[in-house]
Amino acid sequence: MRRLRALEPLAWIGPAVVLIALVVLWPVIEMVRSSFLKISRFGVVQGDNFPDNYTKLFGEKDFADIMVRSVIWVVAVVALTVLISLALAQLFNQRFPGRKVARWALIAPWAASVLMTAIIFKWMLDPEVGVINQIRLKLGLIDAMGGASADQLGDASSAMPWLVFVAVFVSVPFTTYALLAGLATIPADVYEAARMDGASRLRTYWSITLPLLRPALTVAALINVMNVFNSFPIIWAMTHGQPGYSTATSTILMFILKGSNIGESAAMSVVNFGMVIVLTAIFLKVSRWNKEVA
Amino acid sequence: MKMKLAGGAALGLATMLVLSSCGSGDSGGANNAQSSGGGQVTLKMVAADYGDGPGKPNSGETFWKGVVDEFQKQNPNIKVDVQVINWNDIDKQVATMVQNGQVPDILQTGGYAGFAKEQLLYKVDEVLSPNVQQDMLQKFADNGKLDGVAYGIPFVSSARALFYNKDLFQKAGIAEPPKTWDELKAAADKLKKAGVSQPFGLPLGQEEAQAESLLWMLGNGGGYKDASGKWAINSPQNVETFTYMKGLVDAGLTTPNPGTKDRKTVWEDFGAGKVGMVNGGPMSIPIFDTAGLKNYGVAPIPGKTGPLDTTLGVQDWIMAFNKNGHAEEIKKFFDFFYTGDAAQKISELYKLLPVTKGGIDKLSSDEKLKPFLDALPNATFYPQADPKWDAVSAQMKQTIGSAVKDDPAKVLGELQKAAESS
Repeated sequence: MRRLRALEPLAWIGPAVVLIALVVLWPVIEMVRSSFLKISRFGVVQGDNFPDNYTKLFGEKDFADIMVRSVIWVVAVVALTVLISLALAQLFNQRFPGRKVARWALIAPWAASVLMTAIIFKWMLDPEVGVINQIRLKLGLIDAMGGASADQLGDASSAMPWLVFVAVFVSVPFTTYALLAGLATIPADVYEAARMDGASRLRTYWSITLPLLRPALTVAALINVMNVFNSFPIIWAMTHGQPGYSTATSTILMFILKGSNIGESAAMSVVNFGMVIVLTAIFLKVSRWNKEVA
Repeated sequence: MKMKLAGGAALGLATMLVLSSCGSGDSGGANNAQSSGGGQVTLKMVAADYGDGPGKPNSGETFWKGVVDEFQKQNPNIKVDVQVINWNDIDKQVATMVQNGQVPDILQTGGYAGFAKEQLLYKVDEVLSPNVQQDMLQKFADNGKLDGVAYGIPFVSSARALFYNKDLFQKAGIAEPPKTWDELKAAADKLKKAGVSQPFGLPLGQEEAQAESLLWMLGNGGGYKDASGKWAINSPQNVETFTYMKGLVDAGLTTPNPGTKDRKTVWEDFGAGKVGMVNGGPMSIPIFDTAGLKNYGVAPIPGKTGPLDTTLGVQDWIMAFNKNGHAEEIKKFFDFFYTGDAAQKISELYKLLPVTKGGIDKLSSDEKLKPFLDALPNATFYPQADPKWDAVSAQMKQTIGSAVKDDPAKVLGELQKAAESS
């Protein structure tokens, strides 16, 4: 009986352990294993070929550009998202008429499917009939519909900002709500004490709100880093990574490679996986460094 | 006592999880056992969607359900499970099935050579009756051969021609459709002056860049391979072709940034009267109809010095995988499909061209399809029998559009390198 008791914790955590092993660990192992294999485009495994998949991947003409673009993409989207969300959370934490409606409205981009949002933006940017281009035409920013100037998604230099915009648009709601929850945990008496000591508003925000918000901020930003790095539907739906590979991130490249070389695509996944871990590690390091200063 | 019960329940749950995860792997084996017993056989079929997707009246699900219901009525011992997948995903999903050892019995898609090379397919002789084989257009059937042995069964086909908007041509004062590249440029200039935003619709994006590119290459005596069967993507003719196209793009006479535009978008723009001319096929007719465009003409595609005497013929395939050993049942299904009215139905529903002599005879009275039916016998095809073709085509879809933006020789050169090495 006592021995059974000792085993009991295992019964409790057992299902979770099995689930994690099946759903998390096994695919990772399978992914790494696939990257060492020569697999034909039609899915037939033709044997071991480490490290050919990796040398081929690193030898791709666009590989370096794509990796740099992926990092810029993550940094740009997450930084903008966090900045905007900090401001929005502050706003929504105030009492003002219609706050409830405004809070609900913010959920909309979050509740809509990301793919749907991306497709709608693609429509709005359509060079022939897109509403955004019609507005630009009325404002005199472009001469005519249908030409190259109305085709912002057709060129990397104008497409990338739009892709970042849409990514920020869909990331802001979650981040804002995470920060709102964080704001709600800051006790009112701390602010009262600050006011008694005559601290300015800016000083209060900088020395009280931000430090106390750090746990929520760290979690929100971290989840965004991983999400955005692996983000696929926005870029795929809006540009397919085209023209050429000039708007592709590593996740897009991974998907495109899947069409011609599954092994190389798996190698890209492994590199991606490593990148997420590295980015996360850097991020955690930086945020802890902040803690010591504060 | 209470604790013990809960612990037991948790253990039970864990066991169930493990068991259920095994269950899904077993189902394939169960099917095999059934078939060898001589009872009911289930054929698993994967097909591409020629329609507008799930839920639309012309969806692949609806079409195949009609065919299968009829077939099952006649063959109560054979059940056919059809999984319809859209064109963008079908290659990847089938590759995943093959990789996991869960191949379908029947596959209907755009290529067969890769599967044949891996020896995954039945020979056509094993799954198709001689009389059906004889009814196939010879050229189509020959394209289905790898090293002299037929593996791919022609399913449907299509051909291309130049569509032009008669109203816009009249408005711009163009008497007849262009026959040469010079005439094409002159016509495009006039259309531009008449306020047409896309004088020539040029889709070189993901969806079908390899088709549009080949149509242009053919106009200058080029192509993907040379006469000896070697890859010749960056041949001088092809570089010249893309340099000419780049000139059109730079002058603003085409769809802007062609390397990012899908054919469906451009066809819809043509239907909406925004495009003066575009290369299309019978399958674009329903799109133009939906958009409400009536007054358009069909002409041979202009080449450098004269209209093309050939056109791009695209052929789709149906094939049988040999892993599950259902040759007998597959044969029944294929014979049913080709000898009944199913093959004709698919042609009418999706405006696809038939691949059998009998089918072409039946459709020859269709006014709209006639120019394409006439073009079929002289069509040029993708080098589909080359097992590298699918990988090359995948890469081409991504990058060949850059050839009208950057340096044509460089972009085509990289594709050539990939074709030679892949």
